[in-house]
Amino acid sequence: MAPTTSPFVCLRCLRSSQTSNPSKTIRTVASAPTTIRRRSASTTTSPSESSEQLPRWMQTPPRMKMPERTRPEPKQPVWRVNAQQEPVDEMYDRFMGRWLALTHKSFDHGRRGFNDRLAFLGKRIVDVQTSLALLNMPSAPSMQPAAAQNDVFQHAALEGLGNVTNFSKNAILEKTRLAKVATAYGINRVMRWKPRKSDNLKSSGEDVVLAHTMYSIIGALALHRGGEVAAKTVRERILKPLGLR
Amino acid sequence: MGKPATAATRQLQGRDDHVQHQWRGQKRCIASRREASSAAAQEVDEPVVEEDAVGPAYQPFEDQTRRPLNAPSHRQALKSAKLAALHARLQLPAKLPLQTLARCLIDPSVDPRPGYNNEPLSILGQELLGYYTAEWLMTRYPRLPMPILFAAQYAFVGNQTLAAMRTEWGVETVAAPGPEVDPGLLQLKRQTPGNALADGEQMRIKHMPQAKRIGSGRRNEEYNYRRGMSSRIVYDDQFGDLQTSLATSTSDSTPPYPSAPISRPDDSTSFRLPDASSEQSPPPSDWYLPRSTQYQDPTATTVEAASATFVRALAGALYLHAGTPASKHFHEQHVVSRHLPLHTLFNFAHPTRDLSRLCAREGFEPPVARLISETGRLSRTPVFVVGVFSGEDKLGEGAGASLNEGRVRAAAAALRGWYLYSPPDGKAMRPSEVEGTGHGKKWKPQMIDIGEIIT
Repeated sequence: MAPTTSPFVCLRCLRSSQTSNPSKTIRTVASAPTTIRRRSASTTTSPSESSEQLPRWMQTPPRMKMPERTRPEPKQPVWRVNAQQEPVDEMYDRFMGRWLALTHKSFDHGRRGFNDRLAFLGKRIVDVQTSLALLNMPSAPSMQPAAAQNDVFQHAALEGLGNVTNFSKNAILEKTRLAKVATAYGINRVMRWKPRKSDNLKSSGEDVVLAHTMYSIIGALALHRGGEVAAKTVRERILKPLGLR
Repeated sequence: MGKPATAATRQLQGRDDHVQHQWRGQKRCIASRREASSAAAQEVDEPVVEEDAVGPAYQPFEDQTRRPLNAPSHRQALKSAKLAALHARLQLPAKLPLQTLARCLIDPSVDPRPGYNNEPLSILGQELLGYYTAEWLMTRYPRLPMPILFAAQYAFVGNQTLAAMRTEWGVETVAAPGPEVDPGLLQLKRQTPGNALADGEQMRIKHMPQAKRIGSGRRNEEYNYRRGMSSRIVYDDQFGDLQTSLATSTSDSTPPYPSAPISRPDDSTSFRLPDASSEQSPPPSDWYLPRSTQYQDPTATTVEAASATFVRALAGALYLHAGTPASKHFHEQHVVSRHLPLHTLFNFAHPTRDLSRLCAREGFEPPVARLISETGRLSRTPVFVVGVFSGEDKLGEGAGASLNEGRVRAAAAALRGWYLYSPPDGKAMRPSEVEGTGHGKKWKPQMIDIGEIIT
């Protein structure tokens, strides 16, 4: 049998120590939840019940786990993520999106879900709002002489188009700048991910994961509260700190 | 002014940095057309053909602004029958003026100066179309895996589709841009095809060393550097592809200074990232080729790219002139109306393993394959219909020529059924439907799926 102090076991000891698993809650396909909404009355799950009824963001699905670890732990400090749940978050327990928006694919090998799709939608919203904000920014006074100006068709709707360039967009939405804004909000303390080196987060790509999480929060807002709320959040919480009004 | 043909050839041969290479046939046609129309054209200091070849930063500012138009001016837009017919054919709102439509048809490769081309309109339009398509896909198919989502996005608003749309609309391209050409044609400067032979060389242009600018913010863009699906969302464009817009954008990119970060296979003095493995790799085989000439004009573009830019610019222009309802109507009529068979985009490597992990994640009973029916087991062409069951529920069914094939096909069908789930019609709602005021709609929270199975 494997000694309890060892962090992992070899496969032979694992096989010899395997006992029959206790019966877990088996759901049928037909009863799988197909919409995740604010269901307060119908479901009976709550964190205080048995471990089989724990919400999905809190535990790895039991049948996806190996009973014992068979590989050595990496030689780095143990990486911990936030698992606390404040009382005010209890009403959002059944809203998967709250936790899902903060979960990167690297966390738990993606077994608890991840926020890729939400980040995809969020980035699209941020892109649109950035361009619209650039349109409203004051543009540099044209240095072309009046003769050349006549060749350009002037219209009120086309004002500010000179600000919309790939360079300016990429300069505004650079991952290091977004990461700084996200750190200011404290997202790095609550996002769930697994860095390659827990003692060197920079080289593990923390900036990318921070930017990714920011986008996914916007995407989750869009799907949960609608496009207007998401757009407003982008303008006020992301673009304003980045300098666009 | 004088002799354009010989002056052009002499200056082209003696050039150090950029060389203008058009198709041979086209060059001859241009020279002759230029001579034909040059009598009516205004005074030029040098032939128009090579003006775009040298970057704008190398020329003094006065020359650049005094440069004559390389495309029809907006005043001619009102006189063009083609343009008016296009406006009517696409049923564009009257708020969109013909002059803006004419501007949408001018590619940055024709005139990189701000205000003269469709680039900013195209950027805005691309983002709008991308947003509408992304929300349409995500609310209709909430469980689509990320690679499929990228592929579907490209299938709806990618370059190839928009180029096909341009031909469907009946917009033709010019043979060469110029101020005398009809404003209703798509103006672009075509780059030399990659299969053409380079001047004075035995190799094709596509095999020649190219200078690529590192512009996407990734640490390494070489083909053998692994980049996963998640990082594409932050670094790359909406289709998951490396951003080429930074490298080829003409209106804001200046030619590189001598120590600019350029990835050039035969230049050892250019700046390299410190952790690149270039020191260990052997010098490339084209080390000894002459570096003085470049065979591709970086400002020129392909017909497909220019067509896509035009369609996107039109979407952007619609938004600016006629507002959100017009751009959404455009998206609905031209993009979403296209049918895309999503089930053909899937390609599973190990569907049985994926399905088993899916059932473990969701808490279903482990999947079991059972033979439903068979025929011709001992013949040359047997057919086995296999179903994959989780408890009493059949997840998927597939037919194959062997038991194993049937089992694998059934697992793939089950996974497709899971990933292509679509909520009922009344429940799916797009986030942009409640944007702004005056829509009178109440938002219904949409389904958020936790993600695909990764193994």
